[in-house]
Amino acid sequence: MEVLSSRKQRRGIGLDPRTTIVLLLMVAVFVLGGAGGNELIWARIILACVPVVLLLTSNNKLKCIVFVLVYLLGYFLQFYVLGHLTGILNSLMLATAGMITSFLPGLMMGYYAVSTTTVSEFVAAMERIHMPEQVIIPLSVMFRFFPTVVEEAGSINDAMRMRGIAMGGKHPGKMLEYRLIPIMTCSVKIGEELSAASLTRGLGAPVKRTNICKIGFGLWDILFLGLSICIVIYWVLILIGVRV
Amino acid sequence: MSTKKDSSNKLQGKDLMNVGIYSAIYFVIVFAVAMLGYIPIMMPMLCVLVPLIAGVPFMLFLTKVKKFGMIWIMSIIMGILMLLTGMAQYALIIGAFSGLIAELIYKSGNYKSQSKAVLTCGVFSIWVWGNFIPLFFKRESYWAARQSFGEDYINTLNSLMPIWLCPILLAAAFVFGILGGLLGKTLLKKHFKKAGIA
Repeated sequence: MEVLSSRKQRRGIGLDPRTTIVLLLMVAVFVLGGAGGNELIWARIILACVPVVLLLTSNNKLKCIVFVLVYLLGYFLQFYVLGHLTGILNSLMLATAGMITSFLPGLMMGYYAVSTTTVSEFVAAMERIHMPEQVIIPLSVMFRFFPTVVEEAGSINDAMRMRGIAMGGKHPGKMLEYRLIPIMTCSVKIGEELSAASLTRGLGAPVKRTNICKIGFGLWDILFLGLSICIVIYWVLILIGVRV
Repeated sequence: MSTKKDSSNKLQGKDLMNVGIYSAIYFVIVFAVAMLGYIPIMMPMLCVLVPLIAGVPFMLFLTKVKKFGMIWIMSIIMGILMLLTGMAQYALIIGAFSGLIAELIYKSGNYKSQSKAVLTCGVFSIWVWGNFIPLFFKRESYWAARQSFGEDYINTLNSLMPIWLCPILLAAAFVFGILGGLLGKTLLKKHFKKAGIA
């Protein structure tokens, strides 16, 4: 019981990683990808609200509020400001606002997934659905590694600005070379160390790995999975041409 | 002991970690370039720019590939990431095939041949083209979800991408993948050999 409560305290609703992945896919396919066209608008609205609920119940309330405010700003721009601008400025603003409103739900869901799922939990969940090791290891390394690459890119950007090699300079080729090469060099070095560290801890050993993470479906998981299944069934019905 | 491990043809933990690390680097670079698609005229140009620039990390990745499956797995992972970033399933389907072909080409050179490596880079880059399929063949449903981008943006993009551009973009992805491979090879020789990581 103690384990359960501490987990709940840490992650709010405390979804199973498998449910998180399903929801991430649903948001990507329906909200970002726009599958199902106009008949599934209701599903899109519900799915866009899911990450808001999840983030509000987790420890990231502040981030959630920022996301929602940005979203509302995008919406506000679309409806009120746009009539008053003309020409290229208008279409530029409209495209920006449109992109903010359509990408933000996916971004929030991705943020929730990455910030609440630990790598061990992700691996445990993937093993439970019998994903082959050949996909689990690269994926888990990648999610661990993204922040590193982005951080390094930021530092190199600073260093290059100090040397006066700014974006949009005179030599695009050179500018690219001076950024791309350092990012790759230091990422590869860090990656090699990471890989050595995990090999020392037994990744890639020829035995079956054990995992102390307790994962399992709870009430919320069933609720969200049920919702996803309903939407997919409705979508399939539309695809095969049955009018509901 | 390590030589004994390397000689076996099965993928070890270290190989899989290499796939993960290089996929992360590759994806960050692709993503940064793909941001340019925000400007309508750059959208079709992505088929040129992405393979060209992403050829550099990919060629570096190829220096680590010594066993069957690494290129294929990376191709499928790119497809999964495209699915998760809302680009639909086409890149995954295309990538599963082009990745396998790329793998076989590099394997036929015993994972050593430099000219085969450049060709592999070209074939691998075809997954980029997969992302454009809905823009050509499923235009209505593609834009239905993106109405908020505004009429101007949609119209500009539609006029920029007539249907005959589709095979041209496929060829462009391949050709510029090869050019990206050559660029990567040059930079590899110039920088990474010196730094001791290639």
